Amino acid sequence: LVAALIAAACGTSPAAAPLGSPVSGGGGTSQPTSTARASDLAASGFRGGPTTITLYTSVTQETVDAVVAGFAALTPGVTVRTFRAPTGQLAARIAADERSGGIDADLIWLSDPISMQPLEQEGRLLAWTPVAWAGLQDAYRTSAAFGTRILDMVIVAHQGLALMPSDWADLIDPAYADGVAFPDPAFAGSSLGVLGYFAATSGYGLDFYRRLKAAGAVQVQSPGDVVTGVAQGRYAVGITLAEAARTAISAGSPVVTVWPASGAIAVISPIAVVAASRQRAAAQAFVDYVLSAAGQRQIGRTGWQPIRPGSGGPLPGGPQVQPDWSRLYGQQAQLLQEYRAIFGG
Amino acid sequence: MSTSRSWLRLAQALIVLGAVLTLIVAPAWALVGALLEGGPGGLAAALGSAAWTAIGGTLWTSAVAAVLAVGSGLAAAWLTERSSAPGRRWLRLGMLLPLALPAIVSAVGWADAYGPGGLLEALTGRGLPGLFSAAGMVAVMSATILPVPYALIAAGLATRGEPDLERAARASGAGPWTVFRTVTLPLLRPTLAVSTVLAFVLGVNAFDVPVVLGLPSGFATMTTGIYSDLVLSADPRAFERVLLLAGLLALLAGGVAFTADTFASGLPIGRTGSPPGAPYQRRRTSVPSMAAALLGWAWIGLASAGPLAALLLTALSRAVGVSPLPSHWTLRHFSAALGGSTVPALLHTLGLSLAAACLALLLGGLLVALPRGRLARLSGSLATVGLALPGSALAVAVLLAYGGSLRDSVAIILVAYLAKFWTLGHRPLAAAADRLPADLLRAARASGAGAVATVRTIVAPLLFPAVVAAWALVFLFSMHELTMSSLLYGPGNETLAVRVLDLQQLGDPTVTAALALILASLSAVALVPIGLIVGRGRPRRVDR
Repeated sequence: LVAALIAAACGTSPAAAPLGSPVSGGGGTSQPTSTARASDLAASGFRGGPTTITLYTSVTQETVDAVVAGFAALTPGVTVRTFRAPTGQLAARIAADERSGGIDADLIWLSDPISMQPLEQEGRLLAWTPVAWAGLQDAYRTSAAFGTRILDMVIVAHQGLALMPSDWADLIDPAYADGVAFPDPAFAGSSLGVLGYFAATSGYGLDFYRRLKAAGAVQVQSPGDVVTGVAQGRYAVGITLAEAARTAISAGSPVVTVWPASGAIAVISPIAVVAASRQRAAAQAFVDYVLSAAGQRQIGRTGWQPIRPGSGGPLPGGPQVQPDWSRLYGQQAQLLQEYRAIFGG
Repeated sequence: MSTSRSWLRLAQALIVLGAVLTLIVAPAWALVGALLEGGPGGLAAALGSAAWTAIGGTLWTSAVAAVLAVGSGLAAAWLTERSSAPGRRWLRLGMLLPLALPAIVSAVGWADAYGPGGLLEALTGRGLPGLFSAAGMVAVMSATILPVPYALIAAGLATRGEPDLERAARASGAGPWTVFRTVTLPLLRPTLAVSTVLAFVLGVNAFDVPVVLGLPSGFATMTTGIYSDLVLSADPRAFERVLLLAGLLALLAGGVAFTADTFASGLPIGRTGSPPGAPYQRRRTSVPSMAAALLGWAWIGLASAGPLAALLLTALSRAVGVSPLPSHWTLRHFSAALGGSTVPALLHTLGLSLAAACLALLLGGLLVALPRGRLARLSGSLATVGLALPGSALAVAVLLAYGGSLRDSVAIILVAYLAKFWTLGHRPLAAAADRLPADLLRAARASGAGAVATVRTIVAPLLFPAVVAAWALVFLFSMHELTMSSLLYGPGNETLAVRVLDLQQLGDPTVTAALALILASLSAVALVPIGLIVGRGRPRRVDR
């Protein structure tokens, strides 16, 4: 694969799609595919000479590799170069690209909506509708970005606690005094989603964080750090990604997942085509593949919850709720400032 | 002066000037340009009250950590280079050992060894109190920084110390403390100034220790603020704040470096005596030096053995949180760590680090050899700015400046490494070289030796310990670099950082710990030569 990437590294092929037509709602280039089945898609969705497309992503390597390999098998004419980095580095690279001649990618696939929103708002992303979206929930898409997986924020608890929590509100129970950890909302979009959800939900609000602070709760960097701390016994309970808890449990760590009764906070991992992409048709074919049953199976197989039901992978353990991402984007600075006034950092 | 020699001088000055322009000025200019795009109004808005808290936090923690690190580095260097303590060679290696671990790993190692639910608590029932606080953070920061001033001061004692003067003082009846205070310390002043600057800049730049130990107690520094803004930098305001805070950080460090350099240049210099003989050392081990050695070993146990043991247990245990009994051990995480793209990535990183170390040393040497004056001093201070810039901002700056031509190539990573680590290649040499006896150089030239022969027979042997220290520092820091290469790499030149950060994102610390230990054992190989050579108190005599 590496060799193939090197070979393809600088290859630009004759543009298959017209260059940067203005972004408009809906439309985009029309796709002749009439069904979401991957084989059909590969047969009819993309017809062009050998093409190289570039994917910027913060999705974990194993999943990206599996999806790219699946796409390559069905669409031999298209080579996918990937640049994978954690959200922070990726966002910085995109920001640097934008200030020096435009985003150097055809596709962007992220782990949370909050990092995608500003790109869409500034017209960097192509508004269109993938054929493969048929039958999927519109709550999981915007006009340009499409959910590919669902990451659930849940409660993780040390095994054998005398009193197990059952919902978010239980985290301020005196039984867990000085024993609650949660990921700093300023360090990852998924963690920011938790803050956004609580802040906007009646019964919680920022007051929930004040009460958490009063109960001795602490912020740590990432959801993974929460699971590690709870497993080591440093904390009794915490807020984390279901996937991180699942990995620890399957390895044998002494932790359990508690699916909050009022619902896990669902974070969508969105994918989008860059508006200025010169390989628009190939990039759109990739999105269609990721959303197709075959692409979704690759996501499920590598341990994530696919957006398309029945594609394997872990199933949600209860109800799911979503923060209002579009509102959150407008308020994130204000919200973080209020949060920092409580927890510092 | 012959014409060919003045041509050489000119070429040298041009190379240094070119390097300053390419590595520091051009990226900094790109950064300023991107910053000004947002307009002056954006700048004012970017600096909220939270930013000032972070700036204050960064300033005092770095200052305290630097003073602690240089103070203990000096004590440790005296112990290994001047005392009669037994096993000094091993002490030397032990003192340098923290350099073998990337910062993120040592931060986690400290937390796992001494924090709640950690190794110490499992063994004795209680951990170190206050580890997760501002005070604990500063203490661990200084412990992780310490090897750098230690290496510089030990090399300084070897290259700058005047053992003959020390011996004369002793013979005249001065006690060890008086000798240290009136002979050793004054001679070390330039080395101490350089060490303090580097320690302060490393403190300003520290990210992992503040995140692991400071964040839970809500302590803010500029680097943690920059990182959280980076995560949100799809928002242009957040990105501008990243650039602004990074620029402030660079100004701060550049200012401190320039002040210190100006101060150090005013210190008396010029050794005219012949190169030193063996340092004054008592042959028999004294009781105080024995006690000091024990203290040294206790420190190595605390700062290296504890965190390393905690990491090893994490890497060996089946899953994080299971009791650390041998029945729960597995080697699976080590093979997982070596799987995937680790080996090719490791080779890329190794090649990059070797190249960076050699080139940084070369550029450092050229800078040191510039005639003393404002140009040399300003270049030296500017080179320090690169180290002060957070990796993310420096990488963005390099991408803005060179993305057009070098994008996705190994060369762009190398440019970033040189910009960041040039000063690590320069300062150890500078600290040692300004006391190169000018008479010896003149004598060599007068006896007909060419430039090459003079460097080979006079300069190289005298500066050898400093050269080794500088090379190894750049090499180790490049091996551990995670941020810049993960932002700049392209297809086919993935570095180790790409793999480490992927593992870290998966959230399972066992495999990350295993990979860190593999990396640490490789780095330890690079430490052995410094341990053996740096503090070798007996530079080869050149007047044989």
